[in-house]
Amino acid sequence: MLKVLAALAVGAVLAGVASVAVVNVASPTPEPPNKPLYNYGDR
Amino acid sequence: MRPHFRLVRLAPAWFARLAPGALGLGLGVLALGPALGPGFTLRYDMVFVPDPPLRLDVAGFPRAVPSDQVVALLSEALPAEVVQKLILLGIFVLAASGAAALVPSGRTAPRLAAAAFYAWNAYLAQRLLLGQWALLLGFAGLPWAVRAASRGGAWRLAPALLPAAVGGFQAMLVSALTVLPVAALRTVEGPVEGWWAPARRSEWTFRGRAVLTSAAVIVVLSLPWLVPALRTNAVTDPAGVAAFAPRADGPFGTLGSLLSLGGIWNSHADVPGQDSWALASVRLALTAIALAGFVLLVHGTRVRRAAGGHAGEPGAGGGSGGVGGSGGLRGSAGGSSGPLVRSSGQANRFPSPVIAQMAVQGRGSGGGSEGDGYGLGLAVAAGVGLLIACAGAFVPGVPRAMIGWWPGFGPFRDGQLYVAPLALAEAVGFAVVVSALGRRGPVATAVPVLVATAVPVLVLPTFALGAFGRLGSADYPDEWRRVQAIVNDDPHPGALVSLPWGAYRAFPWNGGRVVLDPATKLFARRVIWDDTLVVGVPGRGRIRVAAEDPLTRRIAALISGGAGAGGGVPVGAPAEVDGGGGGRGGREGGVPAGAGAGEAGAGGGVPAGARTGAAEAGGTGTERAGSLTGDLAREGVRYVLVEGSNENQFLFRLRGATPVWRGESLLLLRI
Repeated sequence: MLKVLAALAVGAVLAGVASVAVVNVASPTPEPPNKPLYNYGDR
Repeated sequence: MRPHFRLVRLAPAWFARLAPGALGLGLGVLALGPALGPGFTLRYDMVFVPDPPLRLDVAGFPRAVPSDQVVALLSEALPAEVVQKLILLGIFVLAASGAAALVPSGRTAPRLAAAAFYAWNAYLAQRLLLGQWALLLGFAGLPWAVRAASRGGAWRLAPALLPAAVGGFQAMLVSALTVLPVAALRTVEGPVEGWWAPARRSEWTFRGRAVLTSAAVIVVLSLPWLVPALRTNAVTDPAGVAAFAPRADGPFGTLGSLLSLGGIWNSHADVPGQDSWALASVRLALTAIALAGFVLLVHGTRVRRAAGGHAGEPGAGGGSGGVGGSGGLRGSAGGSSGPLVRSSGQANRFPSPVIAQMAVQGRGSGGGSEGDGYGLGLAVAAGVGLLIACAGAFVPGVPRAMIGWWPGFGPFRDGQLYVAPLALAEAVGFAVVVSALGRRGPVATAVPVLVATAVPVLVLPTFALGAFGRLGSADYPDEWRRVQAIVNDDPHPGALVSLPWGAYRAFPWNGGRVVLDPATKLFARRVIWDDTLVVGVPGRGRIRVAAEDPLTRRIAALISGGAGAGGGVPVGAPAEVDGGGGGRGGREGGVPAGAGAGEAGAGGGVPAGARTGAAEAGGTGTERAGSLTGDLAREGVRYVLVEGSNENQFLFRLRGATPVWRGESLLLLRI
């Protein structure tokens, strides 16, 4: 029973985190860059 | 009733065998999403082109050897875009099925756990978003290579390393890092007393032979890129260590990112939302769980070895026996040499009931479980890989000094890619943990299967759908095909220079996704392009990693105004890039007198104006523009391809060159 409850709790957290992440990411559309040349990257 | 009974018995075996691959295919479809639509997927280093030419004359460092040649050959039979999609999907299938094959249990849930973890993680996502599909071929084949190395035998290892061999140098280096420790530390059975007892000598001989065999296979399969790499005069800029050092991609710092299998240097390779506290936290928690499982597995191996192991002499059981002898963890399908299988009564000698349970289940299942003969070797490989990655981040002086001493150490500058064996170790460790959750029975089995497949996806959900649009598909505009046909139909020799002088482009027709200049792959002749890499580093501005190819440096000097003109920004270079390239080009300076002039002349394509301009070099700006055409001709350049709308700028500078194609966004000039 304890395992089931723990699994439910973990599952709920994971589902919540994943949902929030997906909603946050899906809502804004990234604006296409308008520069013809690009650097290799940055951070 | 009998056929029905047989079906019931056979179905689980077939399911166990096919499920990981099918799961990998499903995850691949989910991850690639829009990239599976019509057209090519173009992003960063992933450049596929229609009708790719088969070019064997490799100039510069052979980064895309033999991957480009293999793609060109496959594209003779299938459209190139189909080849690309098959390769990308194949990476997921290969990775998932391979990780599952390493799990020391035949049960479906742990095997699917490893499959899902290994086919859906930050490492694979980031490298895919950076377009490094060739490296990912090696990543996908890594479990199979580990499996083969732990079993022993060159003929087993060679086919397992084929994906990495196709991938090229990065894929093979990651594979070598993993395979050699596994071969050296694979389980050798038999009682051993003293460091130089006969049995111990036999063990060392056996291990040495295994390492040499593996190394020989690796070297042979590396020859396609190794030979040109040793012959090239390309140089490696030590500045690349700072540019490509691992960086934190979340709130837990660089080490936390690396342990979570992320930490790539380029923020544009992150999946969206990856740096959020919530996602990073659950990923790190999963990492801790997976590592605990792997430690449990390795600990079990060590305890069994300390107990004296069992089974026969090294190699006595044939290649398959060596692995199974590691403690009876192998499944019956993986070879069933009798002496190497521990009886169920011995299960109490395992240090953990979880491992013991997996061992028993693995023996009785139809799954292809391996046993843990690879555990120690994989642990060493994961540790060394993590150290290499950390070196670039925490002690960059070491790799910088190594590269300065010998450019052959250049591949160590992008240290994060060596985290691949850690990903495999975590995948297997996750399977160990999932196995602990499982019970027998249809209802209880469904839960761990669901957990096994869902958790890795849920901790990185935004990898789905092409990382929410970061991956897509696009068709090349017709004018690219026209230009390709014109150049490739021309029998006259001579290189093609691609302008503007910068490696990466963002085409509107590709959704603005950044991609390496497609001209680098499009033509059946040498293409000269700016392989200088510009990387932004926090607090240090932009780091320019100098071009590797000396010819590229000479052309850069010409385009930027030549050695005598001082260091200007090359034509069309991004405005934010400093002018150092011109200065470096200036140092490389001298243009070989007459080099290539004969070829250009033989082509009959050098217009009179160009010759006049060349003859009058060193005069006014207009005259110098004319001399650029002549200088390029002397370097053996026959074509200049200009992409973008600022054609007039180049027409002015390449006075005397003949326009042979002028389209909406492309201008092709013949010199």
